[in-house]
Amino acid sequence: MNPADFNKFNPTTMWRDWVAKSEQQWSEAMSTLMKDEKAGAPMNLQVSQMRMMQKQFGEMMQMALTGANLPSRGDIEGVAERLGQVQDGLAALSAEVAQLTAALHQQGAVAKAAGPSRDRKPPPKSAASKKS
Amino acid sequence: MAKSTVTGLPVSPMQLALERMGLAGEDFAEMTGALGTTPKQTIYAQGTMRLNHYTPLADSLYRVPVLIVTSLVNQPYILDLVPGQSMVEYLLQQGFDVYMIEWGSPRQEHKNLTLEDHVLDRLPRAVQAVLEHSGQKEVSLVGYCVGGLLAALYAVLHPNTAQAAPLKNFVGIATPVNADGLVSLKAWMGNDFDEEALLAEFGNVPADWVQNTLRALRPLGKVSGAMNLLNNMDNRDVVVSNLRMGKWEQDNIPFPGGVFRQMVNAFLRENRLVKGTWVFDGKKAQLSALKMPLLHLLAQEDHITPYASSSDLVALAGSKDKQEMILKGGHVGLVAGRGAQTRMWPTLNDWLAPRST
Repeated sequence: MNPADFNKFNPTTMWRDWVAKSEQQWSEAMSTLMKDEKAGAPMNLQVSQMRMMQKQFGEMMQMALTGANLPSRGDIEGVAERLGQVQDGLAALSAEVAQLTAALHQQGAVAKAAGPSRDRKPPPKSAASKKS
Repeated sequence: MAKSTVTGLPVSPMQLALERMGLAGEDFAEMTGALGTTPKQTIYAQGTMRLNHYTPLADSLYRVPVLIVTSLVNQPYILDLVPGQSMVEYLLQQGFDVYMIEWGSPRQEHKNLTLEDHVLDRLPRAVQAVLEHSGQKEVSLVGYCVGGLLAALYAVLHPNTAQAAPLKNFVGIATPVNADGLVSLKAWMGNDFDEEALLAEFGNVPADWVQNTLRALRPLGKVSGAMNLLNNMDNRDVVVSNLRMGKWEQDNIPFPGGVFRQMVNAFLRENRLVKGTWVFDGKKAQLSALKMPLLHLLAQEDHITPYASSSDLVALAGSKDKQEMILKGGHVGLVAGRGAQTRMWPTLNDWLAPRST
């Protein structure tokens, strides 16, 4: 089959097109309902309940994983925290090297490659691209 | 089940689509390639924050450097997805000297970071670092989404003083300033919402919580995206572009706890910015203090920052040279979609170039 004909006369494709095109109206209708301040209270109650459930489930899983000698989410988050600290340290070092290099260039201790000049002018209006 | 046109064996519809694109055996996850790869150098770092300078791509540069301030809750590489789909690369090609702030992912030790830390400490230091690195006395600030709000707060908190913000131009992109326009978020995070319980539990607001909240603003958006993707499975460019955006969408970063507390209370519930009652370290943040040339770029179908939440940036600014432009597209498509290349980026260039000499 020619790839160009892949989607032609396909009822599934037509249905998906309809869903995609009508999504905005459906989303707007749902958003209108959810924008009501009365929707906020039950939503927040549900979020709180989910948070509590997640916490209890997390604690249960941590015990089970510890028993099985496996790392828990908390352990992995701890590693991520330490990795983040290492990344920050490396970034700080990298920035300091860049600053030291710039200082050496300023003092003339190290030759600096000529960069682009800062005298660019915008093209005349007629040559500028048209706005949408 | 569908059969492979190559092996004749049963394959999933996804694999069949890849075969139709001539990509049999390729992994979906690898099709996006590396994101945010425009060459850059970190010239300043503070905690999780990085200030990156991008290697210029033009023979000559505009005098005034550009500092991009990104959002706190999204990865900054949305502005630099891949070559050809990167706002940063486009600005470099047009002759701008581009710097970008990446706030980074806050850890438990950063749960008490506040807006003051960002707009009275981190951002001023980054601006100073840009001035020193570029050897210039002024900078143009470009802020996207919450990054625009941070940039605006910085700009209005440093007006006409000894520490005046050395701003030549200010560009907001889909920047929310009026919380009354964020109707859904206001309804969800009203007085019933217990932000303290959330912060006590997690410290920072978890990335998946941020992601679910943003998705709830357009509840069926993912369904529509999936349908469009399925209907374009034989178009490699559409699939790859969709996968890149999808990868970014799922890559939220946690919201620093202290900032979230202030955003819920002072911004969302009390709407202090447009009321002119938001005080930072004894100084009132008033949008009328924005005096430099100002451009605000907005998306016509922005469900995250609706027009009602963003139009007051230009309306209340004290700038004589101020302009608002509404472009076709959504919140993310405005900066990174296929339309951004033909609409938003050239508009930004046309406005900024003559003001950057």
